[in-house]
Amino acid sequence: MIIEAHGLRKTFHAKRGRGKTEEVEAVRGIDLEVQKGEIFAALGPNGAGKTTTVRMLATFIAPTAGTARVAGFDVVKEAAKVRENIGYVSQAGGVDENNPGIDQLLLAGRIAGLSKKQALARADELLAAFSLTEIARRPARTLSGGQKRRFSIALGLVTAPPLVFLDEPTTGLDPQNRANLWDEVRALRDRGTSVLLTTHYLDEADALCDRLVIIDHGTVVAEGTPSSLKKEVAGDVVTLKLKGVDEAAEVLRAQSYVKEVRTEEGLLRAYLDDGEHGLPHLLRVLEERDLTLESISLDRATLDDVFLRHTGRSLRDAA
Amino acid sequence: MIRQTSLFLGYELRFLLRNPVWPLFGIMQPVLYLLFFAPLLGRTTASGSMPEVLAMFTPGSMMMIALFGSLFAGFGMINETRNGVLERLAVSPAWPPAIILGRVAKDMLVLVIQAILVMGVAMLMGLRIGLPAFLIMLLLMAVTGLFAASLSYGLALAIKDENGVSQLVQFFAMPLTLIAGLFLPVSLGPDWLQTLARFNPLYYGVEAGRSLFRGDLGDSTIPIAFALLIGLALITMVWSMRSLRRLAS
Repeated sequence: MIIEAHGLRKTFHAKRGRGKTEEVEAVRGIDLEVQKGEIFAALGPNGAGKTTTVRMLATFIAPTAGTARVAGFDVVKEAAKVRENIGYVSQAGGVDENNPGIDQLLLAGRIAGLSKKQALARADELLAAFSLTEIARRPARTLSGGQKRRFSIALGLVTAPPLVFLDEPTTGLDPQNRANLWDEVRALRDRGTSVLLTTHYLDEADALCDRLVIIDHGTVVAEGTPSSLKKEVAGDVVTLKLKGVDEAAEVLRAQSYVKEVRTEEGLLRAYLDDGEHGLPHLLRVLEERDLTLESISLDRATLDDVFLRHTGRSLRDAA
Repeated sequence: MIRQTSLFLGYELRFLLRNPVWPLFGIMQPVLYLLFFAPLLGRTTASGSMPEVLAMFTPGSMMMIALFGSLFAGFGMINETRNGVLERLAVSPAWPPAIILGRVAKDMLVLVIQAILVMGVAMLMGLRIGLPAFLIMLLLMAVTGLFAASLSYGLALAIKDENGVSQLVQFFAMPLTLIAGLFLPVSLGPDWLQTLARFNPLYYGVEAGRSLFRGDLGDSTIPIAFALLIGLALITMVWSMRSLRRLAS
């Protein structure tokens, strides 16, 4: 177990006007277990408490309550030991715009205790791995968003840590750079590095991670592998647009092949284990009741359906 | 600890060497004052000779670089509170005080070099001082830089807002300048001004500089200035390191 967290809580005291403070419960009791060598994702909407959780695990802030061991060390009592064993890539990136990437890699290596020669060798290795050798000596402000992001990840890997935290690693990247970054994260795992990443992209969590937790309002609402979580919901989702949503929902709930029905403003989602076979039955039942459809679609269940099931709202709508 | 500080110092100096122009702009202000303002001061000293005027005026103009240069050192760090650089360093194996100390050491070094250049200009204009006075003056500038830069980093990390910090620094810089007698000794003024000046640490810095430049190395303002500035430098340094630790909340 590379991360073991129990009942992590973080309450901030935000100043609101004169002398008034407001308590913000960013994280309200999170349990996490991340195995060695896996890519683990924390999926949730913005403001769910993902970043705060990662910051606590990376020793940047101390938890208000709860305990966590990272790489075998307590994040509060043995913070220095934790820092020797992690790489941390914040959402902001942490790349110094005024200086060339190579200088930053060398400094990061030296402060971690490498000799000049070792730091240089390690920097060369990382520059090559992330195709940054050509632009290593350019001031970072002249680099593109994707290049900067690669530098920020390289900076987190200088000490070849057994565990890397990636906070929203692909936010703001174009699809091409995103796909490349996914490959780089997979390559990390293939070399034995454990990865904890946060994301609010469903497809990213689905495609990239071995296991995930879904976080909402500072708590874990679901945990598992992407496929097991989706299986919990159903294999397929039929989304219908029609008048008389409530009547249709009532009818479909009575059907044995429909696992679950959810409605929202003129939309109806029916969860079926076997959509291809269930769909003809479903259509026939609706026709018998004279319920006319405006549109229909059949999709594989996604993590959004998992999110919807556990929180009652879609991740796309969640703020 | 020293290794870590020197690593951060080295990183900062490499940046400085790539952009060596900016600190030169910093000495323009005192040099301009020396060239165009000092000649007006002939009547304020006993003999009115240029060397005497320069001995009175140069220390003040040197303090000016500290006030209007080093006090803004923290500006760059405000951006680093947002772009994740400090966040990354805070969870790295770095010894946290070194993050501040390395930068402060760089600013101190810059101020000393600027001071040498300003003294060089003053000497070309006719200032005559002995080597011990010259070296002690550099030390005095070093501790002034230590104080001003630490204060600046403390402000930057506590306020985290460019507008706020620049307004605050401007707000304090002007009265401190006037009450320290940066341009003209406060001894020329009324008693109340002289009393007020005694509460301004810069006053002792300027007066110590004037004593040094007069060749009066035994003057009491010199140890007072060192003690005050070193004390303040330590306090502000601890403050800025604490602010760095509280960065997240």
